[in-house]
Amino acid sequence: MLGRTTLSAVERKDRRFAIFAATPAGLTIAALFLYPLVYAFVLSLYELNDKRPEATRVVGLANYVRLLGDDAFLASLARTGVFCLFTVFGGVAFAVGMGVLLNQRFRGRAVARVLLLVPWAVPPVVNGIMWKLIFDGTYGVANSILMTLGIVDRPVQWLAVPDLTLGVLIFAEVWKLTPFLALMTIASLQSIPANIYRAASIDGAGSWQRFWRMTLPNLRGTIMFLLIVQSMWSIKVFDSIYVLTGGSGGPAGATTTVNFLAYLTTFSYLDRGYGASMSIAIMVIVILVAAFWVLLLGRRDKETRR
Amino acid sequence: MPRHQSILTRRSLLGGGLVLGGTALAGCVSPGGSAGSSASPSALSSGGEAGGEISILDDNTNQVFQNGLIETFQEQTGITVRNYEMANFNDLHDRFATMFAGQDTSYDVIMTWAGWSAEFGQAGWLQPLAQDSLPADVIRPALDAVSWDDTVYGLPKFASVQTMFWNKEHFERAGLDPDAAPESWDEFVAAAKKLTTDGRYGYTCDMGNPAGAYQNFLRTMLLCGGELYDADYTPQLDSEAGVEAMTKLVELYRDHEVMNPASLQITNASDLVEVFSQGNTSIVFNWPFQWSVATSDAATTSAATVGNGLIPGINVRSASIDGSEGYAISAFSENKSAALKWLEFAASATSQREIVEKEGWFPVSQEILDDPATEEALPVVATYEQSTEYVTRRYGTPWSNELDQLLSVHVNRAMNGDEEPAAAMRASQQELLPVVEKYLG
Repeated sequence: MLGRTTLSAVERKDRRFAIFAATPAGLTIAALFLYPLVYAFVLSLYELNDKRPEATRVVGLANYVRLLGDDAFLASLARTGVFCLFTVFGGVAFAVGMGVLLNQRFRGRAVARVLLLVPWAVPPVVNGIMWKLIFDGTYGVANSILMTLGIVDRPVQWLAVPDLTLGVLIFAEVWKLTPFLALMTIASLQSIPANIYRAASIDGAGSWQRFWRMTLPNLRGTIMFLLIVQSMWSIKVFDSIYVLTGGSGGPAGATTTVNFLAYLTTFSYLDRGYGASMSIAIMVIVILVAAFWVLLLGRRDKETRR
Repeated sequence: MPRHQSILTRRSLLGGGLVLGGTALAGCVSPGGSAGSSASPSALSSGGEAGGEISILDDNTNQVFQNGLIETFQEQTGITVRNYEMANFNDLHDRFATMFAGQDTSYDVIMTWAGWSAEFGQAGWLQPLAQDSLPADVIRPALDAVSWDDTVYGLPKFASVQTMFWNKEHFERAGLDPDAAPESWDEFVAAAKKLTTDGRYGYTCDMGNPAGAYQNFLRTMLLCGGELYDADYTPQLDSEAGVEAMTKLVELYRDHEVMNPASLQITNASDLVEVFSQGNTSIVFNWPFQWSVATSDAATTSAATVGNGLIPGINVRSASIDGSEGYAISAFSENKSAALKWLEFAASATSQREIVEKEGWFPVSQEILDDPATEEALPVVATYEQSTEYVTRRYGTPWSNELDQLLSVHVNRAMNGDEEPAAAMRASQQELLPVVEKYLG
């Protein structure tokens, strides 16, 4: 028959087996990812506030239109941008620095590498509690150290002043995520042949030139990966904010990032339709940011390889 | 050899699968499924037989149930408490919301207070009670904590009103009369100034989270003689009393410098209780359980060194806020009759006596309140009775969370000097108006 070809018996058998083998994974993904995704999207098309059940109705894309004019949402987006600026660029830069440092030969390097992993081993909630205690305005270690050194003369209320709290949050996040980023950097650095560094040294290249012209280009793929994952984590940050601020996103909304606002809208205000539209918007933002990094660095990476 | 192709290509399989899966999934989605699905269940009446099992999700305020009262309940009623779980108050709201939205039947009884009774009650998630379910001598403000819009959704388990606690030793050292409480705001400020010494602040409060900011502001507004809403629930945040209240709080912190800066970081009453009980501040306005903690063996204070009295007023003699808690029955409970028995037991004399004597909360029963043994066990009950002569409010509404959140932003800005008190109150008012409009339409 024209336009219709048949598979051999062996190929059909192979394909059936492949589908059979992939089915559990496919069903799991559908249950854990596709269902919530579709559910969230459908919710986002509704006006659905549990405290106003009588007002539940389909509103189409109205929730998304509302997002564009919602000052609270736009402010949380701006706040998320500031948070990402520090945690993504600062975090990745710090991790690359750490990675380069720990890739050098020095006494105690193995211990240093193990210690590097400690923050990563701490559960996120414990991490938040730890920093909350450290920056406590009354009993915190941070104030004790600063007062002992004579840097401040009275306790600083780290978690009561908006800008300071955002600073503490950024610090806590960078501390938590640096080990993973640095570990990836070290792994990538080890794949760079040592002899090219020796050759460069013989040719008279200094440390900075070696880093700038050899290390960094070789790390481009890894850095792209780090920027993507760190951007995703930073946009979606939740646990540290919840623990540090007692679930409020305060003080004065200073730590209410876009993901936290979606949480407040959905769970505190029970406005599930609007909260779902925020969640979908966040997902789109994450995809766009990841695509941006891939397009920006992926292309250059390909050009470098050519 | 030509490559064979099947009509069932990967692309068609994927596309068809997505369409089918999406359609099937969308069909399963029922966004309005939980909201209002309870369809306003009819009011539950008392009496009749009840048996079987119940599960209870409580906050961690009361230990007495776990420490014996559950057994007493089971012996008295024959009902088994299959699961009694306690959780941090600050974590409970989201847990309840998730549970109710999913129509979870795991818990029959939940802890509630004025805000949640209004919020979850309006959502149709709590079982309304009939008038004949209410104990005859229940104290009215406590009953308000489990009611909204003339519907009673539960029974109170304890009554609670904030009063003033002071450290008599600190007063004595500052040259103040340890047995005479400040009776006006000016006297309070003057005392707090004298008490602010040696790195210790005269006054501390807990406005580190939205609920705390709301409570501290509301209390001060009531002390100014104000009301949060008028009779039609129109907010009064930018009223004269509202602005004055915000101004007084800012003055305490920034001008008089008598308020512990940590107040902006303390997120719950339990932490405030500890600050006072460890002698780290001289005056607090707190819930009645402050007494039992401050007079316990672990405290540096004792019954002899802790004073208790009415909160000094600004434009009125005194006023306070209510913090009564209770139990409500989930609209999705499968054993509501047995759950009601638990509510009745918690409000009964047996439970009330233990809550008063062992934990220091006020009783919800007038009979227990009038019992001389109550005041003997809990001396601060005398102040509570005095406080009933003055305004005590909480204003639990379905929009309490939204109000707490928006108000806390402006309270914090004003306290940090980033906003003038009047501007903070105007902004709060403007933000609250559409919220109230949305719910009351």
